[in-house]
Amino acid sequence: MKRNDIRSENVADRTAGGFNRRRFLRGLGACVALPAFASSAPTKLLAASSAGKLAATATGAPLRTAFLYFPNGAIPGEWWPKQDGTDFDLSRTLEPLGQFRRQIQVLGELDDRSALPQDDGSGDHARANGTFLTSVRIKKSATDVHAGISIDQVMARDVGHLTRFPSLELTCETSRLSGACDSGYSCAYQYNLSWSSPTTPMTAEANPGQVFERLFGAGPPGERIENLQRRRQEQRSILDFVLDDTRQMQRRLNPRDNDKLDQYLTGVRELEIRIQKAERLGDPKDPKVDSPPAGIPASYGEHLELMFDILTLAFQSDSTRVATLLLAHDGSNRSFSEIGIPEGHHDLSHHFNDKAKIQKVSEIDLWYVTQFARFLQKLDQTRDVDGNSLLHNSMILYGSGNADGNRHTHVNLPLVLAGAGGGTLAPGRYVRHGSKPAANLFLSMADRMGLENLPRFGDSTGRLGNI
Amino acid sequence: MWALLLFLAAAGVSVRAAEAPGATEFHTNVLPILQNYCFDCHGEGASKGKVAFDQFKSDQDLLENRELWWKAMKNLRAGIMPPAKKARPTAEEQEQIVHWVKTSVFGINPQDPDPGRVTLRRLNRAEYHNTIRDLLGVDFNTQEAFPPDDTGYGFDTIGDVLTLPPMLLEKYLNAAEKIVGQAVPVVPETMAKKIVTGNRFEGLGWDGALNLSYYKPTSVSNTVTMKWPGKYQLAVDLMANEKYVDNVFDYNKCRLIFQVDGRELLRQEYNREGDRRFHYDFDQDWTAGDHVMSFQLQPLTPDQPQTRTLTLQINSVTIRGPDAKEHWVRPDHYARFFPKNVPTGATARRHYARELLGGFARKAFRRPVDDKTVDRLGALAESVYNQPGKTFEAGIAQGMVAVLASPRFLFREEGAEPDSGKERYPLVDEYALASRLSYFLWTSMPDDELMRLAGEGRLRQDLSAQVARMLRDKKSEAFVRDFTGQWLRARDIQDWPVDPRSILAREEKFDPERARLRKRFHELNDKSDESLTKAEKDELAGIRSTLFKNFGGPSRVNFDWELRFDMRQETEKVFDYVLREDRGLLELLDSDYTFLNHRLAAHYGITNVDGNEMRRVTLAPDSPRGGILTEGTVLVVTSNPTRTSPVKRGLFILDNVLGTPPPPPPPNIPPLEDAAKGATNHALSLRDTLALHRKDALCSSCHNRMDPLGLAFENFNAMGMWRPAEYNEPIDATGALITGESFADVRELKRILVTRHAKDFYRTLTEKMLTYALGRGLDFYDVETVDQIVARIESSNGRPSALLSGVVESAPFQKCRRARSGQSVALNLDNP
Repeated sequence: MKRNDIRSENVADRTAGGFNRRRFLRGLGACVALPAFASSAPTKLLAASSAGKLAATATGAPLRTAFLYFPNGAIPGEWWPKQDGTDFDLSRTLEPLGQFRRQIQVLGELDDRSALPQDDGSGDHARANGTFLTSVRIKKSATDVHAGISIDQVMARDVGHLTRFPSLELTCETSRLSGACDSGYSCAYQYNLSWSSPTTPMTAEANPGQVFERLFGAGPPGERIENLQRRRQEQRSILDFVLDDTRQMQRRLNPRDNDKLDQYLTGVRELEIRIQKAERLGDPKDPKVDSPPAGIPASYGEHLELMFDILTLAFQSDSTRVATLLLAHDGSNRSFSEIGIPEGHHDLSHHFNDKAKIQKVSEIDLWYVTQFARFLQKLDQTRDVDGNSLLHNSMILYGSGNADGNRHTHVNLPLVLAGAGGGTLAPGRYVRHGSKPAANLFLSMADRMGLENLPRFGDSTGRLGNI
Repeated sequence: MWALLLFLAAAGVSVRAAEAPGATEFHTNVLPILQNYCFDCHGEGASKGKVAFDQFKSDQDLLENRELWWKAMKNLRAGIMPPAKKARPTAEEQEQIVHWVKTSVFGINPQDPDPGRVTLRRLNRAEYHNTIRDLLGVDFNTQEAFPPDDTGYGFDTIGDVLTLPPMLLEKYLNAAEKIVGQAVPVVPETMAKKIVTGNRFEGLGWDGALNLSYYKPTSVSNTVTMKWPGKYQLAVDLMANEKYVDNVFDYNKCRLIFQVDGRELLRQEYNREGDRRFHYDFDQDWTAGDHVMSFQLQPLTPDQPQTRTLTLQINSVTIRGPDAKEHWVRPDHYARFFPKNVPTGATARRHYARELLGGFARKAFRRPVDDKTVDRLGALAESVYNQPGKTFEAGIAQGMVAVLASPRFLFREEGAEPDSGKERYPLVDEYALASRLSYFLWTSMPDDELMRLAGEGRLRQDLSAQVARMLRDKKSEAFVRDFTGQWLRARDIQDWPVDPRSILAREEKFDPERARLRKRFHELNDKSDESLTKAEKDELAGIRSTLFKNFGGPSRVNFDWELRFDMRQETEKVFDYVLREDRGLLELLDSDYTFLNHRLAAHYGITNVDGNEMRRVTLAPDSPRGGILTEGTVLVVTSNPTRTSPVKRGLFILDNVLGTPPPPPPPNIPPLEDAAKGATNHALSLRDTLALHRKDALCSSCHNRMDPLGLAFENFNAMGMWRPAEYNEPIDATGALITGESFADVRELKRILVTRHAKDFYRTLTEKMLTYALGRGLDFYDVETVDQIVARIESSNGRPSALLSGVVESAPFQKCRRARSGQSVALNLDNP
């Protein structure tokens, strides 16, 4: 199991503080074989051991997964190619993906049946957003949220220990309106893609500068790593102190309040683990670029672009291998003055066959795909450790939980899977999968990430072949 | 005897040996009323809306069906049921029903109602910001640092909904470090520092940044007098700003020259830099006496169009020095955190550390701290300051970071007053009460006086005086801002998408030629280029240049951030005025005044208001404005980006004024404009378009409640401006409420709300404020509490003071449920 260049770490050997730390670290396993990427040998090709097949390609490069969400579905007439198979034509909306034809696959006839109304009445936006990565029925309540654990977190649980950050949750959605959200559903469903437990949404980060800082440290190039290290040192004693505080508080609280405190504890544990990881994996290499400007860019397009840049950096530096990015929440009523459309996206998406409105929504769909194409370009132009492009060693799913935004349907979702999955995917096609749950796709993606024993996910009925 | 029993059995009245008192009361007092007024549709076989009052299998079933009775009671009180055309129960009969529901179904004891349970609340973003400000004097940018909070019931104070995901914990930790790093000096002495802000370079007498336009040559200077000669460090802090304009870029450049005593230190050129910050450091050897610093800005591109208002913002020049140790001074704010000199001996230091950290933790945790915690904090500090190169102050700072990271800071833990155990619901302890009060009225931590009173156990008995004091304190502005920001959604005005051009286009006078051109344009434009003849192509080009002459230019109305800010101010100041002057709450529904400045007044079409200050303006006697419903914020956030939405406006009134929100819409409703297909030369007015959809009984059941209310406000466009007509048709603002009252225009509607629905409004406002203050949604057992507060408001003639004291003195605010063991949980300080 041990190869020359792979450091094997018996984590329990590390200087564990009190008995607390050991308890937390138990989950990491006694012996983990790791390809050492982060800072030591970025250009070496490392053959992965059988245990190291987690989130790795056959060549030993990291395998990344990202889920990107766009709101309100897409106009089906402009989205779907007319011809399936390898000779598929790029529809109008998907045209910007032209240069990546051979690296994407258009997935047809995948459904999210958990988003169907059944007895719950209205709330399709909350459902579309909330079930997209969880594939379970979500509880219709304004305050008592209950979804499911999302597929990215399922993956992160198993492969997260390989990288400094088990996963990254990002968003470009900056508006948060007061008042109620969709038809009696909690706002949490519409603003979160990722859930680490049925009741804990993984709040996403909207500020690109802060994501950058989190990944690489604060300050100008050259000082960042030092800052990271210093911060880590200081955090240790703080974490010890707050853990004690928390344990005492737990004794005083009733069960429901303790659930809240549990969330706090989970956060503390994660930080502890990250500190441990930093010792194990080393610090990231400073990307030697200027920090992104502070604050959120005024232009939405710039915001997206910046976020894509940082996600690319995160993948490139192997800071994480699992990410989600909410481009805008489902139900988003953003107006797109940048392309001359002043009406709200959501308002327009209920076009009821008015041609002018359909045209406008198609323009918006096209705009989103254009931004996505830019991301693919970044990934394609970045070399990975094994000589392939980052795009080659990734699985990037771009889609929406609403299919026809006009009628709020959730079958035949608009989904594009980009990347070659390190060679495990067969892109360059449009395949109609015959009304299968999207969760089947997630299972197949999880397989490739090395989670071979997942029996089921959400409303899955098996693996999805032919991808 | 037998005949009687048979008769009773036949009549369907159940006779039990020992009937529950609630059931008896039902049969005696309530059932006859229901039979009289309700059974036509909801009894004896009829069950309209799936509601029937005589389908219970047993008395127990009857009493346990809380949902049904609660809905019935709400509908009854709102006057929605019985429907307008039918006979209505008298006030006494209504009271009988309500009383029965409250006592027998809900089981509320009016003397001792269930205070409910609030889930442990995390400090939300606003609370965190203000608490840090009050605790350490730091203005920490929480908007940037933390993600927005999840809301419930329309507010961000709801304990159940405020989660703490790992990412947020990380942010709290980082924030704690940043804040302490900013606030707490870690050295006892440092170089003297003098900050000369930009404003001072222009000779102005106050501190602030100085904005210099890229387009104008300017020269400013400032003279400083130094007491001592020596080496000084100068730090110049500036930003290159621009005002973002869509699709337009600004290529202007300028040069900035910074000189000291005539010597040039900086000569730098700037393009459009996108709000980038610049920092320059210079070392200087200065004599004692005066030194002149100057900035000179030279525009470099006089011929470039000036489109983005490029400016160089000179924040400050910071002068540190002299570097000789004998001239070093105490850092800023040193005394605030370290009132004494740091002792030298280890024991004395330990003692001092415990003193400092114990006091800080007490304030931060908002209650006394146990010795063990203080010990641990002291140990933490010691482990830092015993390291080589680390000061005592640095150790204390680290301890403070730990305090700010602790769940005892981030969460509002509450305990109960120790008591005999005989009371069903204990009082919350005085410290918890202090926090509840301060977070309610100040969105921040309790101050020294509240803590002192809580420590002496005298806060509760001094309640009304304290509430009055808290309202007088400037910090109560946070209450106005945060409550109106959410109840009236005034927060949303900042980013609400608004397209002035489309909105105003609806008010343009009809121009048949233009309409013809537009139609022709669509015809030609839809065809592909190849299929057009040369003549058609020319025609298309001609139409384009005619129709789109003004495309890309500014709209007649600039709905920019200043106007939005003015609108928000109007909403806040109106509420603030009513609150502080203790004016009738009904003035929020209709009044003869509002708050305006010149810009907002012009926007509303009101003359004779000058100046930027918001001030109370008495409106003309026939003005339709006055009250929350005609405030710009409400009118805008209840609209779509391109047009008004009468449905949203009607819904707003039902939600936030009358308290009778309709159920959510059924799925798959096609929206509005499509029904206007087949329109002739011009689009239908919204009233006509909406009418089409109210033909369907399924739709009209709810829309009859909302649409008339929203349509009354159609004279206010989607930017809150008054308009007499839309699409060439004068606007018809007549309508009727579902409770029967009809009105001719918005003025009459407001009058009706004031005269006929005052109680509904009091109740709705009470519910909103209670939800906000308690941090939980209201449940059936809160009905009595709300009723008591409403009664108080009514007997005070609708004064806000009655509402506030009602909330603060209510059982849910004052008490809590007992913890699991039945013992009240006192935060036992000796044995945590």
